[in-house]
Amino acid sequence: MSIRERHQVIKEVGFTGIPIVNVENACSSSGSAFRLAYQSIAAEIYDKVLVLGVEVMPRGPIPSTAFRPWELASGFNVQPANYGNLTVRYMKSSGATLEDLALVTIKNRKNGMLNPKARFQKPVTLEEVMQSKIIATPLRLLHCCPLADGAAALILCSRRKVKNRRRAVNVAASTLTSACYGEGYLDLVDSLTYPPAEGFVSLSARQAYEETGCGPSDIHIVQAYDTVSPSELWDLEELGFCAHGEAHRLLRQGYFDLSGELPVNTDGGLMSRGHPLGATSGGQLCEIIMQLRGEAGARQVEGVKVGLAHSMGAGPNSSVTILKT
Amino acid sequence: MDNIRHTRPLAEGFWTVSDGGLSLLGHRCASCGEVFFPRRKHSHCPHCFRQTLEEINLGPEGCIVSFSIVMIAPAGEFYRGPVPYAYGCVDFPVGVRIKGLMARDDLDTLDVGITVTLTVETLYVSDEGMHVETFVFKPQKNAERKSDEAAKPHA
Ligand SMILES: [Zn+2]
Repeated sequence: MSIRERHQVIKEVGFTGIPIVNVENACSSSGSAFRLAYQSIAAEIYDKVLVLGVEVMPRGPIPSTAFRPWELASGFNVQPANYGNLTVRYMKSSGATLEDLALVTIKNRKNGMLNPKARFQKPVTLEEVMQSKIIATPLRLLHCCPLADGAAALILCSRRKVKNRRRAVNVAASTLTSACYGEGYLDLVDSLTYPPAEGFVSLSARQAYEETGCGPSDIHIVQAYDTVSPSELWDLEELGFCAHGEAHRLLRQGYFDLSGELPVNTDGGLMSRGHPLGATSGGQLCEIIMQLRGEAGARQVEGVKVGLAHSMGAGPNSSVTILKT
Repeated sequence: MDNIRHTRPLAEGFWTVSDGGLSLLGHRCASCGEVFFPRRKHSHCPHCFRQTLEEINLGPEGCIVSFSIVMIAPAGEFYRGPVPYAYGCVDFPVGVRIKGLMARDDLDTLDVGITVTLTVETLYVSDEGMHVETFVFKPQKNAERKSDEAAKPHA
């Protein structure tokens, strides 16, 4: 959305003289805005900050502008194909099959059935995923999240100004990283001579764990970045929840199900909700907050005290937020 | 009638034809050895930040590490080539991974691990009748997997 449109949203509410800052950080936009709000409260500059993620998406594939003119003319801006390239490598190195990737979609669409705000609330079968139209090999339509318009809003408040402590949720960590040198992702090609010891996703997670003093085993639910179904698997590995190549085995065991040891994308994820870029990470945080408050209705997970949300994307950016009761 | 085929490259300075044949052009940092494609616009190496970039030929062939065959037209009307088409990453022995289009007539023979040769193809013909050319990677005839490493799951 343009700046004018974003101010327009507030204009409907009514201008107040309070500063409005437009944060554009692709798929991490509202996660980045959340972090800026968190920092300005931590720095005691403000007591209350509203984070608003809003997006009205163009129809069809997203024309990413992260590419140079010759790359655009070469057709390199097809994100399913960029993820397709990553998926080919991931499948080789992890042993995950196309069927494993389909199981991510199936799990998330099943969770989406319990989310009245999801764009898709119907389940899909293995056959439907495996026979859906090929978009960019090896990815088919139902391996890719749908587009959607969307909005998400969060209010951050300093500890001393909180009125309702019972429903308040604590921000334990909020981190943001950009690519590490030599890392391949979407428009970036890996360095063969100087590959990074740690990628930007692992780095953002490690910083978040260090900020909270907790580790992956202390997290009860995760909102992972399922822009394509394999990305949920490698995301869980890079966030430290399991070793490389383990995620698809745990998925098959039901480990990431709503009733599993570590429920992932309890609201149906991007696969069910769709992917309104600027609102995406805000939506992930809203789900964690509802779960922490015990207000997630039919999809409520028992005893959730700590949740982690991760979003990433063009830039590239990676943002991790850990929330606690 | 003008029967000369008018061509122009998609971008200047990506490849060169010399005695050794067709080769991509890149930069190599004399300090840290990092290799770049395409050549960098600025004089510093983004790895070690020294101003020691030297132009080098990257060679005519490499090995496919990943590819994707695209079945949909890209958004934004920047791309005017055929659909389906494919692009992927190719490792060159000089020590650089390069993202490029795959030869349009060989989509069926693409596989991870096969050797591809650099060639130049017309990407599209412009409204003025200009053949806009770009470098592409073409699977070698009877392409065999050079290495099964990529096909094996990591230990
Ligand atoms: Zn250097």
